[in-house]
Amino acid sequence: MTTTDRTTRPPLQARLRLLLSQLVSEPSYVIGAVLALALAYLVLAPMAAVLGSAVQMTRMDAVRAGASPGDLTFSYFQRVFTSPVAQDIFWTPLGNTMTVALFATALAVLFGLVLAMLVTSTNIWGRSILGFLLIIPYMLPSQALATAWITVFKNRRTGGSPGMLEALGLTPPDWLAYGPLPIVICLALSYFPFAFLLFSNALNKIDTQLEEAAVTLGARPHIVWRRILLPLLIPTTMSVLLLTVARTLGTFATPYVLGTPVGYTLLSTSLYSSLRSGAPGVAAVLAIVLGLFGVAMLLLDIWMVRNWQRFITVGGKGGKREPARLTLLARFPASAVAWGVFLIAAFGPLLVMFLSTIMREPGVFALSNFSLGYWTGGDGRPGVFNSPEILLSLYNSLSIAGSAAVICGVLGLAVGYAVVRLPGSWLSGFLRQVSFLPYLMPGMAFAAAFLTLFAVPRGPVPALYGSITLLILVMVVTYLPYASRSGISAMMQVGREPEEAGMVLGAGFFARITRILGPLQKTALVTAIILPFISGMKELSLVVMLVTPGTELLTTQSLRFLDYGHTQLANATILIIGVVVMLLVLLMQKVTKSSLAGGLGG
Amino acid sequence: MPNITLNSVVKTYGGKSLAVDNLTTTFPSGEFICLLGPSGCGKTTTLRMIAGLERPDSGEIRFGDEVFYSSQTGTYLRPEKRKLGLMFQSYALWPHMTVEQNVVFGLAMKRMPREDQAKRFTELAKLFHLDGLGQRYPRELSGGQQQRVALARMLAVSPDLLLLDEPLSNLDASLRLEMRAELKRLHQTLGCTVIFVTHDQLEAMTMATSIAVMNKGRIEQMAKPMDIYRHPSSHFVANFVGSPPMNMLTPGEAPGLASEMTKILGTPADRAGTVGIRPEALRLTGQPANGGLKATIDTIQPTGADWIIGLQAEGRQLFALSSEPPPADIGAEVGLNLKADGIHAFDQNGKAVGPSL
Repeated sequence: MTTTDRTTRPPLQARLRLLLSQLVSEPSYVIGAVLALALAYLVLAPMAAVLGSAVQMTRMDAVRAGASPGDLTFSYFQRVFTSPVAQDIFWTPLGNTMTVALFATALAVLFGLVLAMLVTSTNIWGRSILGFLLIIPYMLPSQALATAWITVFKNRRTGGSPGMLEALGLTPPDWLAYGPLPIVICLALSYFPFAFLLFSNALNKIDTQLEEAAVTLGARPHIVWRRILLPLLIPTTMSVLLLTVARTLGTFATPYVLGTPVGYTLLSTSLYSSLRSGAPGVAAVLAIVLGLFGVAMLLLDIWMVRNWQRFITVGGKGGKREPARLTLLARFPASAVAWGVFLIAAFGPLLVMFLSTIMREPGVFALSNFSLGYWTGGDGRPGVFNSPEILLSLYNSLSIAGSAAVICGVLGLAVGYAVVRLPGSWLSGFLRQVSFLPYLMPGMAFAAAFLTLFAVPRGPVPALYGSITLLILVMVVTYLPYASRSGISAMMQVGREPEEAGMVLGAGFFARITRILGPLQKTALVTAIILPFISGMKELSLVVMLVTPGTELLTTQSLRFLDYGHTQLANATILIIGVVVMLLVLLMQKVTKSSLAGGLGG
Repeated sequence: MPNITLNSVVKTYGGKSLAVDNLTTTFPSGEFICLLGPSGCGKTTTLRMIAGLERPDSGEIRFGDEVFYSSQTGTYLRPEKRKLGLMFQSYALWPHMTVEQNVVFGLAMKRMPREDQAKRFTELAKLFHLDGLGQRYPRELSGGQQQRVALARMLAVSPDLLLLDEPLSNLDASLRLEMRAELKRLHQTLGCTVIFVTHDQLEAMTMATSIAVMNKGRIEQMAKPMDIYRHPSSHFVANFVGSPPMNMLTPGEAPGLASEMTKILGTPADRAGTVGIRPEALRLTGQPANGGLKATIDTIQPTGADWIIGLQAEGRQLFALSSEPPPADIGAEVGLNLKADGIHAFDQNGKAVGPSL
């Protein structure tokens, strides 16, 4: 074969003509190449920049050490791992991070599993509405629970308006107000909906014939759970565990609000303070450590998916599981557990936050104490509705998260298009992998990377620090893994045939996009925009280091308010985020005509 | 009408796996050609290369004098310029367009005036029994109706060449019979060349005027259906065409049967790597003749018109097909007669040997 190949090898001119015709008739090559270049710059360059700044002298340190800036140095690694301050910068935060991640994840997964079992498989009261109510914590920004906690338990250690208990004359002890206990509780309560969603989906997908087979062989319900259903949930449990651990590793808001006042630091807050105190080299090393954790989680996930593949059952007809009829004696406590979690994780915090914004003095439940002053303004200070900070940050949040979401949605579908149109080519593989890379990096680490790369002008790119462009860029890149994954699956689902059918009938690229693919992917596009929009509205850890006074977002603004002790305004800001997110979720349900459970999986 | 010619066409995926291996063949004009083979044999790739949806790595594809593709001159004619109709396995009807919009899409792309489009749709709707369905959406139609919409969409632009990619595999059995007849009738009225891809040998046998059996990116044999059945050129073809499939034996496994078969064929026993016999050429007699071949009945599957009878002979499972009820019950020993025209022998490389070719 090789010999005939050589003799019939076509002339160069013929090959060039073919290549040209291919580029013209199949624009996905061009699209793919442009995307690949853009992604390489936006994803790979920041990562390289972080690696670089971890081993290069900064200007300041160079002057101090008598070296020139940019010189190779391992002093930052020494500082983080072996110096006298390493204990404070790294080792203690590492231990704290592990502790918090371990307990918060265990609790979140337990809550998620038990609630999923109750809601999908028993007749507890209000199970259909609970399916929605239990996801509410997921729609709140990550600092909501921590802020609500502070609103209730804040003691005299920190200034500003006192907590509700303090105002009632009960001073909560430090261990209850701040530190590991409240951090674990708040994280568990804000991450369990994710576990709940995944477990519910998994339980609904398990073919009921598998259970029925066990029942016909004489298994009682608890045996069915122990021997059939729970083992089948092992793969889901593994990925929920990993994803939740990954999230708690990168979490910033909760430890910042609840840990900082008592000096309880996690890796993320340590990274933040290194950066704020002008130690970018140290921050880069910490970012690398966080990134490595991310890589480890991902590799573990891949390994587990491969190992647990035998658990993926051949799809059957299935059918909705008949909810188990609990006896009244069991039904009452089961319902109480489910509703109790909702009250503690969603309703309670929302109520507390709302109450705090309509009471002049915390904890005084006299009618005269209620006022809309914090909202409308008065007594010489602006309220929420006319506070320039809040209005500006609302505008910023909407415009920044909105633009990032639109770009992300379009990019995600474009990646999907290129990947599906160019199967098997290296370009498709590259796009798939690189667009997924940011998933590895905790938001904090990624923000550090972007800061390193764009703080100074580089080539044609001006210094972006302090600009809205930087915030949009970093959001786009961070949400790209989800957007491109859903874009790929949306395009896979439609497949190549509808487009090819148009091609054969004479539709050019433009006609195919506007008349065939566009209308077919309308819903996917709206979802691909709304989901990153929601994430962007809630985003904190990613942007907290990148915002400047002119570019504050609602989330960062609420943190500022907390820093200054304006608990009420912080709460009001979070409530605004909650309302916007809720509206977006409703919009999405209307557009996709589906329930939330399918969509928020990312 | 012109022939389709493929000349040394090679297609690999990712530079490694060979999908189509140096294929040179001619599909004569006006024929109903079936590309038949197991999945992964390169039949769909061949069809898609003719359609212009895939490009060969090298080689030439021509439709008469018109060059569709040539790696030597660097010619690539885009699918819409090839004046062909393509029907997909999934039909690929656009779910967001009505039946009428689907059917006239190709005409709209040619900027035909709207009234003419509507007129053409009425014509086609009558032909394919789609009257009154023009404003429906594809998901509101039955499988058979969707199939007819796909046919109408393909034929609306009056193509010179029809390419069909397993269009019947999504239909249920009774509808499939009906559609086979309809496609055959369509070919007779239009008279244009049809290339039809399928893995179902029954479809190929019943519809094609010419079958090309493909294996590992090559055409093993191309001939009229009954010639393929009666004179398979290789072990692969013999095994793939026919249901129940041909009973295959190596002389070592069942020496009695095999030597009897080579004797009937007149093939030197040492040249035959495998011998095979069609199920209908295995005749059962009530009593085993003295010194003759014998077998034990172990299953009986009546199909209504025929009986498929499972036999054990020399420790081997064989299937016989008979239009007569079996002469004895399960467990009984019966005699075997072999009909000469159903016996085939293949050499070590799977090539047919002996008088069958």
